[in-house]
Amino acid sequence: MQVDLSGVTVRFGTLTAVDNVSLHFSPGEIHAVVGENGAGKSTVMNVLFGLIKPAVGTIAIDGAEMQWRNPQDAIARGLGMVHQHFMLQDSMSVLENIVLCSEPVSNLGFVKFNTARARLREIAETYGIGVNPEKRIADLSVTERQIVEILKVLYRDAALLILDEPTAVLTPQEAASLFQILRNFRASGKSIALITHKLDEVMEIADRVSVMRAGKLISTKPIGETSKAEIARGIIGGELPASLTRATQAVGEVVLAVDGLQARGVGKTVGPVSFDVRRGEIVGIAGISGNGQTQIIEALVGLRATTGGQASLLGHTLRGLDVGARRALGMSYIPADRQRVGLALEAKVSENAAIGREGTKAFRNWLFIKRAAMTSFARELIESYHIKVAGPNARTSSMSGGNKQKLIVGRELSRGTPLIIAENPTWGVDIGAIDFIHRELIRMRDAGHAILLVSTELDEVLALSDRILVLYENQIAGEFAAADADRLAIGELMTSRSKVVQVA
Amino acid sequence: MGIDLVLDPAFLQSVPRFLTPILLAALGGAICERAGVFNIALEGFILVGAFCAVLGSYFMGSEWWGAVAAMAGGVGMGLLFAEFSLRRKGDAIVVSIALNLFAAGLTVYLLRTIFGVSGAFRDSGIKGFSGIDIPLLRDIPVLGPLLNGQSILFYFAVFAALALQLFFARHRLGLRLRAAGENPAGLSAGGVDPQRVQLWALVLCGALCGLAGAQLSIANVNLFVENMSAGRGWIAVVAVLLTRGRPLYVLFIAVLFGFVDSLSFRIQGFGLPQQFTDVMPYLATLIALIVLSAWHKSKTA
Repeated sequence: MQVDLSGVTVRFGTLTAVDNVSLHFSPGEIHAVVGENGAGKSTVMNVLFGLIKPAVGTIAIDGAEMQWRNPQDAIARGLGMVHQHFMLQDSMSVLENIVLCSEPVSNLGFVKFNTARARLREIAETYGIGVNPEKRIADLSVTERQIVEILKVLYRDAALLILDEPTAVLTPQEAASLFQILRNFRASGKSIALITHKLDEVMEIADRVSVMRAGKLISTKPIGETSKAEIARGIIGGELPASLTRATQAVGEVVLAVDGLQARGVGKTVGPVSFDVRRGEIVGIAGISGNGQTQIIEALVGLRATTGGQASLLGHTLRGLDVGARRALGMSYIPADRQRVGLALEAKVSENAAIGREGTKAFRNWLFIKRAAMTSFARELIESYHIKVAGPNARTSSMSGGNKQKLIVGRELSRGTPLIIAENPTWGVDIGAIDFIHRELIRMRDAGHAILLVSTELDEVLALSDRILVLYENQIAGEFAAADADRLAIGELMTSRSKVVQVA
Repeated sequence: MGIDLVLDPAFLQSVPRFLTPILLAALGGAICERAGVFNIALEGFILVGAFCAVLGSYFMGSEWWGAVAAMAGGVGMGLLFAEFSLRRKGDAIVVSIALNLFAAGLTVYLLRTIFGVSGAFRDSGIKGFSGIDIPLLRDIPVLGPLLNGQSILFYFAVFAALALQLFFARHRLGLRLRAAGENPAGLSAGGVDPQRVQLWALVLCGALCGLAGAQLSIANVNLFVENMSAGRGWIAVVAVLLTRGRPLYVLFIAVLFGFVDSLSFRIQGFGLPQQFTDVMPYLATLIALIVLSAWHKSKTA
């Protein structure tokens, strides 16, 4: 099945999200669509799938122009979409999820589950994938859920599969097995649209790659006629950022001193941990997620009670101080969960930009908030941190993940506090934003701020930190200076108790 | 008082009469609950149903037309709920309160304009459902007097509880209702409009609540009294929330409430102050809440 999108334009209010984009999907071909978050990839796919109506543009299948009233029309014509966020019913069984919305029914409307079961077996045999149909979604791993989403699409006999960031939640091994499944589909003559921002995946599996930037289609090329570097240039719209450089510099006084800190963790006490962070250095905490990072950060920020030990900021103890008091003392916090902790998604951008500042003179007039000050401050942040958003009055939820993160980073770093705590600051954001955030953190370090960086991405910790602490099972398992940080040694400490190094 | 009170045929006979309206309304509420519609207007739905039952029965001369009119009235309330809550995106709690107040006012108003009376309307022209005598059932001890000789609506209500269980598990609309309540985005992605599914939930709920009203006005008695739903809709809401819309649990809770309700009525005859006996259904609610939450805790711990 040949699917052609021609001259598609989508506008949200005054923002043109997609500008005159044409894409072609051919049978037996994996066509990757790449671009930063907010470049318009997902929007284009939603148009293709009938979830969004374009202002201009047409969709044609095998040359015949289509008008989608809703996704059901697109599904009926053989399009299938695996969404970035799973669209599953956790409490239902795999089988129920797969038939939902395309149920084979008897005259009275009762679902013929046995027919569905047989069809599922057929699919499993044809493509070599399957999940126990009687299991509940809630009991499945992330990969199995991904497979259920794919089975849903196959069950509807889709000839074009649209996959939106399918590997975002998968480990490399899981991604590899997903790719094998995709290759089988290609061999069976299906068209596949792969939305991603991971270039290694594109090079590994795609036959053709289209690059989008700021709503526009930059290029479409067969994979053999392009290179990773060229694609990356297309995505960013310029040369690749030079790799990060950090001048070594003398560190100053201790800003954050943590001494024997303990907090209640998941079934276990976290800590005791002791470390300090000095002016002009980035201390990175490496470790696999769930080894106590969250609890330590929350205890330092004031979101979690400590059960022992203490911490002090610039010589003042943090004991008994709430979040507001700690921030006033000289602490900024970039939380890992931007959706729930970092931002109020339903509020305006200007309101989120002013969080933590509403009480200050510049933003408050007796009992009332100064709207104009908030708006102009938000405008400043939008400009200096290159945040892509309709304006200070736009809903925060209208921004892409990378731009939300930039808003938080901007809000926190612009406070200029001596201590900055950054927790997975680039989780789930695109390369352009990652590079920007990294540079901002290093700029703050160079300016003499003390930065505590917690990241589950080892590469991020290695790239930014002057000193690296490794967390394993709620304890600090070792410490490295940047100069002699060794990937393999750190990786081993992150995963095995036997190698625990005693630190004084 | 003692075991002989509970085994008294007159008492046993009254239990299904008390539980039927609660069960029917709670099943309607369960459909809404599972579909993600927070409907606490069951009280108003029942009241309109009770009034329409009398209206239909009186003017058409048949209790069956009464039941049809009751369902139509309930469905009308369901559609009003849908209009304000689904299409106009009103807050479900506000819409519920408005519809409850609306139902109370509307029935009083119509009672005066149509029947020219206030307070209550009784007339020999109101045909009611009479008890169905089932020969074999009649002779079983305890169960006989308990289950035999009830209105058709009681048997229907029990059947509906069982059918609803099957409906949720096996029927296309049942499946979609559950999806609308759990992750409506999954329905949209599959090309089904969750709001249409929720509209169906409100229609079914309206019909069941209408029948609950019919049980009150043309089965338990043959008359309409202002505000005759008397809190049963709220008890049904509690049953729905306690069971999170599971039909078999709803059946169990409705039987419990029906039993306690009828008991509280009964023991007024034994010199206990009415204030105390009136409290009993609510005490039972509280106890059910505590037992259920303890049970949940022990299961999750």
